[in-house]
Amino acid sequence: MIHPLKSAMLGAGRASGAAALLVCALALALSLPPLRVLIEQSMLWHMAIQMPLLVLGGALAMRALAGHRQAQRLARWNRYGLSGFIAAQAIFAYWMLPLAIDRAIVLPLADLQKLVSLLACGALLQHSFARSPAALQLFFIGYAVPMMIWLGFYFINTDLRLCNAYSLASQVRTGRALVAWGLALGALWLWAALRPTRSQ
Amino acid sequence: MLPTFAASLSALLIGLAVIFTATDQGHAFTTEALRRGEVARQPQPIPDFALQDGAGASSALRQLLADDQKVWIVDFVYTRCQTICTSLGSVYQQLQQQIQQRGLQGKVGLLSVSFDPVNDDAQALRDYAARMRLDPQVWRIVTLAKVQDRRRLLDAFGIMVVPAPLGEFEHNAALHVVTHDGRLVSIIDYQAQALALDTALAWSR
Repeated sequence: MIHPLKSAMLGAGRASGAAALLVCALALALSLPPLRVLIEQSMLWHMAIQMPLLVLGGALAMRALAGHRQAQRLARWNRYGLSGFIAAQAIFAYWMLPLAIDRAIVLPLADLQKLVSLLACGALLQHSFARSPAALQLFFIGYAVPMMIWLGFYFINTDLRLCNAYSLASQVRTGRALVAWGLALGALWLWAALRPTRSQ
Repeated sequence: MLPTFAASLSALLIGLAVIFTATDQGHAFTTEALRRGEVARQPQPIPDFALQDGAGASSALRQLLADDQKVWIVDFVYTRCQTICTSLGSVYQQLQQQIQQRGLQGKVGLLSVSFDPVNDDAQALRDYAARMRLDPQVWRIVTLAKVQDRRRLLDAFGIMVVPAPLGEFEHNAALHVVTHDGRLVSIIDYQAQALALDTALAWSR
C-alpha cells in the first residue's frame, strides 16, 4: 500500500510535470510558425514573454524531476546552489544583450541556443534555489532584479534604438515590462524568503 | 566540495568567454556597434545592384561608384519617410553645402538609395530631389531597379527595416563611406557628418 503522503507527492509531481510540459511547449512554440511572427514583430513578446516562459518552463521541469536520481546526482556539482547561480547569471546576462536578441531573430541557430540555454537557466535556478541559504539567493536576486529594473528604465528613456530588429515603441513597452518583472520577482523572493517554513 | 568548485569556476570562465567574444571584447553591445566595428577592421566589398534614377535611367551600383573616382557617402531612405529620413535629409543638405563651399565635388559624392522601390518610382525620386534642393553634381538619389534585390541590398549594408505605424518604416540610419572600388570602409553616426566627410576625404586620393 502506498503511503498517503507519498501518493499526494506523486500527484503533485504529475501536476507540476504537466505544467512544465505546457509552459515549455508554449515557450518553444513561440519560436516556430505560426506564433514566431509575435516574437519577430514585438520585442515585448520576445524578451518579456518568451524568455521568462523558457526560464519558468525549465524551472518547472526541474521541480518535477526533483526526486529523480539524476537531479540528486547533480547536487554534488551544485553545492549550496553555487554553480547553478553562476551559470544562470551568465546566461541571463548574455540574453540581456541587445545584439543577442537581434541574433536570435535573424539566425535560427542563435534562436536554438536561446531556447536551450534559457531552459537550462531555469532548471539550474530551480536546482540552486532548492539547496541554497537565503543569503546566497540574495546574491543572485540582488543582481538580477536591479539589472532588470535598470535596463527597463534605460529602454523606456533612451532615444537610441538598441535592437535593429525592433521599433523604438516596442522597446519602450519592453522596458515597462522588464521593470514590472523585476519588481514582481523581487517581491516574490522576499515573500518566499520570509515565510517561516519553506516548502522546497 | 571539489565538483562544485570546478563547476562554478567553469561556468564563470565559459560565461565570461562567451560574453567577451559576443560583444567584440566588450566593445559592442548592440548589433549596430558590432557592424560598425567589423567594417572598420575589415572593409566589406559591396555586391552589384541594378539601379534606377529619377530620370528613369538604369545604371549599376558598382559602375556608379566607380564613375568619377569619388568616395561616396551612402545613406538609405524611402521618400515618404517623415521621421528619421527627415533628419538624414537635412544632414545631407548640410553635407552638400559643405562639399560645394569647399570645392570637394571631385572627391566626395553623396548617394541616397531608396530601399522602397515599390513606392519610390522615378516621379517620387524627382520630387524628393526637388524638395531637398539636391545638386546633381554632388548628390544623387537612386532606387533598386528590381524589387527582389531589396533583401540582398539591406543585408550587404547591414540595414534592418522594421514596419512602424502609419505605413512608415524604422531602420538603422547611418552614413556609409564607400570607396570608388565598391568597398564599405566605415559606418558613421548620421549626426557625425563632419567625421563622415573627413573619413571620406581620407579615403579619396
